[in-house]
Amino acid sequence: MAAAEISRDFSATVAKVEPEARKLIAQYPEGCARSALLPILHAFQNVEGWLSPEAIERAAEWVGVPVSVVESTASFYTLFHRRPVGRYMLQPCRNLSCIINGAGEIMAHLRGRLEVGHNQTTPDGLFSYEEAECLAACDRAPCMQVNLQFYYDLTKEKIDAMLQAMRDGSFEVPPLPQNAVPGPDWHVAPEGAKKSTGAQGVPSPDDPGGLGDASGRKMIERLTADAAPIDARPTHERLIADGAALLGAPSPNGSAH
Amino acid sequence: MPVVKVLTDGIGELDLRDIAVYRKRGGYEQWKRAVTKLTPAEVADVTSKSGLRGRGGAGFPTGRKWSFLPNNGRPRYMVCNCDEAEPGTFKDHMLLEETPHQVLEGILLGTYAIGSTHAFMYIRGEFARGYEIFMETLGQARAAGFVGQKLFGTETGIEVTVHRGAGAYICGEETALLNSLEGRRGEPRLKPPFPAVKGLYGEPTVVNNVETLATLPHLLRNGAEWFAKVGPEKSPGYKIVSVSGHVRKPGNYEVPLGTPLRELLEIAGGPREGRTIVAVQPGGGSSACLFAEHLDLPYDFDTMAQNGTMLGSGAVVFFDDTTNFVEAALALVRFYAHESCGQCTPCREGGHWLEVTLERILAGGGLDSDIDLLLAVSKQLTGINLCPLGDSIEPFLASVVRRFEAQFREYVRAGASTLVAGR
Repeated sequence: MAAAEISRDFSATVAKVEPEARKLIAQYPEGCARSALLPILHAFQNVEGWLSPEAIERAAEWVGVPVSVVESTASFYTLFHRRPVGRYMLQPCRNLSCIINGAGEIMAHLRGRLEVGHNQTTPDGLFSYEEAECLAACDRAPCMQVNLQFYYDLTKEKIDAMLQAMRDGSFEVPPLPQNAVPGPDWHVAPEGAKKSTGAQGVPSPDDPGGLGDASGRKMIERLTADAAPIDARPTHERLIADGAALLGAPSPNGSAH
Repeated sequence: MPVVKVLTDGIGELDLRDIAVYRKRGGYEQWKRAVTKLTPAEVADVTSKSGLRGRGGAGFPTGRKWSFLPNNGRPRYMVCNCDEAEPGTFKDHMLLEETPHQVLEGILLGTYAIGSTHAFMYIRGEFARGYEIFMETLGQARAAGFVGQKLFGTETGIEVTVHRGAGAYICGEETALLNSLEGRRGEPRLKPPFPAVKGLYGEPTVVNNVETLATLPHLLRNGAEWFAKVGPEKSPGYKIVSVSGHVRKPGNYEVPLGTPLRELLEIAGGPREGRTIVAVQPGGGSSACLFAEHLDLPYDFDTMAQNGTMLGSGAVVFFDDTTNFVEAALALVRFYAHESCGQCTPCREGGHWLEVTLERILAGGGLDSDIDLLLAVSKQLTGINLCPLGDSIEPFLASVVRRFEAQFREYVRAGASTLVAGR
């Protein structure tokens, strides 16, 4: 998607979402405005295609909680995207009934065609790919959702035809709105990109998708790698020696002076 | 073949999303009768006497669940749990999309029975189409005078609020669902207090599954006895069973509880050509596997429990002799690791390390001791969490590791030889 086609006018978004938000809040008992938080976030995402920081800030104001609380809440749910995503969000199911009916091959085919991994977006901003958990359509496995619409009994041929239609602009499901250029990854990863404790959908750097990813292999390599020789010197001697080595080592950026 | 059509009647033949079609078949008549002729206690009484047990997974008697509500004069709420996400389960998805008026009539009856005036319908975020359908359904019912104030010329009034989730399996757990409904992270609450005492907004609340509530119009139409006399005494009635996996005709089949597993297999078209069934997971992703020798067991709550597994949400997955159980185990363990809310350390950490251990086995880097490690870690993380999510890892994993240990050993052995060869 060329940058020129992408424009963003947040006041127009607010004009659209605000009346809906008022109605949503009125659906809940008096004093329970926070209940409308998820519906309001959905409303913003429906207009913008993702949850922008401005949207999160505005939602916080409307339901009367701090921005950090909205961030915390939004980050819990896999369907809220806190980074721009592609125009087609492809979510194949990777759970049991699909896996035993060939979902592994279907997912590998998709990743190969798109040339991206789990939780990533293609450079042209057209496709985002995320392997999803059981989508409650196990009788027609393997299945996937495209912009939350169901596609069943998938085959490689069916997928190729769908991708072609999306590229041609003739696909039956409308593309998601897009008002910002998506980066390659849309989830907010913590420092070091480790699997986090509790946060949903944070990708592991070793998890490109599919079954049997590289993280198990990395773990065994760590376990079986030759251990560094044990330094038998007393602690204070070792610390002094390490410090001297550090001080003597050249700075990675060359001279800082 | 004991397939029956009660909740599933008309599905696939008629457009039951059209209120006129639903009404022509007696739709909303029981709702009208309840409001104009029955007291809430009478509706609750029929439900209790029918022996109906919750269809969401726990199988708790519905009438008894309602009886825990305290008479404290506080507002009380009915919440319909349509966050169906238990691996293998796809019945609520069908009811929501194919016969939404039946679901709504059930919600209204349940709300009336517990003496509430406000119901919430919590729909899984992924069911975007189902959400649209249900909003349309609600609009039709409101226009027809079945939802709102002064119903059928009485003082009875009931409001229904539809709330869309946003992707989190744990929100199917009732207290996590309530937190999500209050606009919070979907983290389960410490119990007690149970929702019946302190639920939504701190008020007495009942959370019932879609299928449970959709049964209510039929109980009122046909009477408690009609339901209670079907199937085993303590596990009565009809149940929609979601059959998937290695069968020729996977789908939702409504049968009397107590139907043997082998008959379910036949109803679903039997095994694929030339294949034999080696295992069956009878109650969703959280249940332990049964095996070929168990296929003659009757499918009901108590028989499943007596055999070390559960009926759960009624999701039956059959596995034939082509199944790679290491992959199957990883698919489910990874699911629980991914869906852990993270509050309890055993679930959060245990699930993750089990996933990594299975990944390394599958990647050819498994150790001999990994088989015991899988069993030990999954056992140790069980029973010490706030909610049943972590406890759901062990049943399937342990049952297939024990039964199909040779498959796991083969990966370890083959992996060991490639590692040595690679050096």
